[in-house]
Amino acid sequence: MRLVIDERRCKGCNLCTMVCPYRIFKPGTKPNARGIVVPELDRPERCANCRLQALYGRTLCGMCQMICPDQAIRWEEEKPGEATKVAIEF
Amino acid sequence: MTYADWLREDRLPHIYCAGCGNGTVINCTLNALDRMGWKKEETIFVSGIGCSSRAPGYIVTDSLHTTHGRALAFATGIKMANPALHVVVFTGDGDLAAIGGNHFIHACRRNIDLTVVCMNNQIYGMTGGQGSPTTPRGALSTTTPYGSQEPAFDLCELASAAGANFVSRWTSYHVKELTRAVHTGFETPGFSFIEALVQCPTNYGRRNKFRNVMDQIEYFKTHGILLQKVKRLREEGKPIPDDAIVLGDFVQRNRAAMGVRR
Ligand SMILES: Cc1ncc(C[n+]2csc(CCOP(=O)(O)OP(=O)(O)O)c2C)c(N)n1
Ligand code: SF4
Ligand code: SF4
Ligand code: SF4
Ligand SMILES: [Mg+2]
Repeated sequence: MRLVIDERRCKGCNLCTMVCPYRIFKPGTKPNARGIVVPELDRPERCANCRLQALYGRTLCGMCQMICPDQAIRWEEEKPGEATKVAIEF
Repeated sequence: MTYADWLREDRLPHIYCAGCGNGTVINCTLNALDRMGWKKEETIFVSGIGCSSRAPGYIVTDSLHTTHGRALAFATGIKMANPALHVVVFTGDGDLAAIGGNHFIHACRRNIDLTVVCMNNQIYGMTGGQGSPTTPRGALSTTTPYGSQEPAFDLCELASAAGANFVSRWTSYHVKELTRAVHTGFETPGFSFIEALVQCPTNYGRRNKFRNVMDQIEYFKTHGILLQKVKRLREEGKPIPDDAIVLGDFVQRNRAAMGVRR
């Protein structure tokens, strides 16, 4: 699973940067085409849900998605054959 | 299914300001709804007028966006006409407790089988930031430029006293607890009232020393205090901070209810 921010929905409130236990979300620096400063992702492969959702068959943690007022955070399935990176942080 | 399947994707992004807590409450409510396994056709959202009351427009089920303060009157009508429907009400503090105050106490008294989620931003958000019955003492708004001098309503105490079967308060920071509370509300027959304190960065936050959205979330995080702890402090005769936000389930009981499907 891969963590993505939907740039068409994000309004740049930075609430996601407050809740992630791994501090994957970092306040962005440059405005995008819509003039919104979208947060940047720091090694998103560390996300608990990216690593374990398939194993447990349900959303794990999910704090960022729950608090995001703009429904802009989701996880995408990798395409078949796409290289995946795994990082585990304790 | 997940909560995203209940959203009207074509209507997003919604009109709420950046960082508005209403969006978080929609997430929590839809997550709780998803756990219930209800069908879209048998679930209906009702609201009054206000920023908070626009929420049903982003949800795939049938919905009624009614007149200011009257969401509960319309919801009562739906439920009494067809008790098989699951009726969920989104409302604001102004909608519920100011213009709609009488509908609120009588819906609690009748204990009608509804789940009411109040997005309490302690202000009239939509109309530009006038004070509401839940604006805390001392808070600035366009109608209280020197700080509100009136005591505020405690909506949960009000609902408890008026007879609701389930009453709970959380904030837009406490997403897991809020989801659980809405879920319990759905499961409880009779009137379930869930108050979600939310940030309104545009009309409340920026006038009240919350310069950015995160400041108010931090405030919810640091000032929230569990009801159990409040009770314990009271028993021990210790003081409870004035600015504490009391969180938790206020009531869970089984009074006779109306509109419950037999
Ligand atoms: C009968 C009537 N009176 C007044 C208004 C103007 N009005 C629209 S929204 C609103 C207040 C909304 O406050 P609240 O319910 O707290 O919702 P919020 O926007 O804060 O979410 C008012 C007074 C109206 N639309 N209809
Ligand atoms: S699901 Fe949890 S761990 Fe993964 S990015 Fe979101 S907050 Fe971080
Ligand atoms: S919480 Fe959502 S809207 Fe806010 S910055 Fe993060 S992704 Fe964007
Ligand atoms: S005015 Fe306040 S309540 Fe209304 S959308 Fe903006 S932040 Fe939300
Ligand atoms: Mg309000």
